[in-house]
Amino acid sequence: MSDQRARFEAQVLPHLDAAYNLARWLARPPLDADDIVQDALLRAFRAFDSFRGDNVKPWLLQIVRNCFLTAAGQARRTRNVPIVEDNQPGADDPAWISDTPDPESTAIRAEESRRLDAVIATLPREFREVLILREMEDLSYREIAQITGAPIGTVMSRLARARGMLKERWLSDVEGVRHVVQ
Amino acid sequence: MSCSEALRVHAYFDSELDAGAAAEVERHLETCADCAALLKDLETTRSALRESAPYYRASGELRERIADVLDDEDGDRSRRRKSWTGISFLTGAVSGGGVTALAAVLAFFLLLQPSPDLLVADLTNAHLRSLMSDHAIDVVSSDRHTVKPWFAGHTDVSPPAVNFASQGYSLVGGRADYIDGHRAAVVVYRHGKHIINVFAWATGDEHLPAEALRNGYHLLFWKSGNIAFCAVSDAGLDEMKTLTRLIQNAGAPISRE
Repeated sequence: MSDQRARFEAQVLPHLDAAYNLARWLARPPLDADDIVQDALLRAFRAFDSFRGDNVKPWLLQIVRNCFLTAAGQARRTRNVPIVEDNQPGADDPAWISDTPDPESTAIRAEESRRLDAVIATLPREFREVLILREMEDLSYREIAQITGAPIGTVMSRLARARGMLKERWLSDVEGVRHVVQ
Repeated sequence: MSCSEALRVHAYFDSELDAGAAAEVERHLETCADCAALLKDLETTRSALRESAPYYRASGELRERIADVLDDEDGDRSRRRKSWTGISFLTGAVSGGGVTALAAVLAFFLLLQPSPDLLVADLTNAHLRSLMSDHAIDVVSSDRHTVKPWFAGHTDVSPPAVNFASQGYSLVGGRADYIDGHRAAVVVYRHGKHIINVFAWATGDEHLPAEALRNGYHLLFWKSGNIAFCAVSDAGLDEMKTLTRLIQNAGAPISRE
């Protein structure tokens, strides 16, 4: 294994899940998150020699986002399949363990997870991405600005708007499901 | 409805304000009901997103694909440098000695391939299998008095299964697995978004690496008596070392061999 490969494995691959999670939240069928992440990791590997920063995660996520935009642009140009912006609730929810072992609460959590997934998916992409980067990846405004190429002020207002939209849609979804009349 | 300070409440919530501005927002929150309600909403949204929304992880298949692509890319670089000597060597061999010499040359090249570290591969694959399948845990519990006795009936060793939740490492359960020809006990921890599998199996005098890295997963090895341990995770190396220290200080395991 070359030195560069070893450094890459140590510094970049620990962020592979973050890269995949972002790609998975950005990409819509027919785009494939696996392909986007594979492409991004190859580009990152080629560019790693010239990477001088000390903060790998935003650097990698920026590459992932660029690869997504490239793939989305190509798919749009071929025109045979439209890029659907609204996600179908995923059939591939992670079957990962929860803290609560009893089946009933596990089922409730899975249902909540599925509905939350569907609600987040209805957010326009520029709002969805800041939400994912801030709340799931715990990145700072500055790092999100680096990844999205937007000024910090724009990141702030998009984030505030995204949170507002999520709350609104989540509540209307919950009420729609439970037929709550107040 | 929305107060002009709302954006600063978001920034305050995200720890993006300096001390002075944060103190101002805190004073404002005491008197503005709208902003106090907003702050509560932000907390609710965040915990929903962090605890309930799906976090999508790279599959084992994708990790393998990426490893292959990087192998090709890495191989290309070293091959480019070596290709001239390689070709002239092969040409000479074919014209001079025929098939036997060619076979000898191929064998020579095959011997140069580094032998894969089977144990590291075994452990990484077991870790990946556990993430991908429902076989993450056989016994789900954060209670050491449930997990540790469970091992007694299912594996060759009973490693400590202590819940370090207050230090950030929650015990989520235990599992039986098969490592290096032994029935291994696996203690499963969750640290933030990361799952850490701690394998334990009976071993002889064989040499263990201190640590290894494979497909982006760290593997930390240690021994306690005749029990070999290996923690595997995509968590940071320092975070994993903290857990291994906690386990090592938690008491010696008991082998039933």
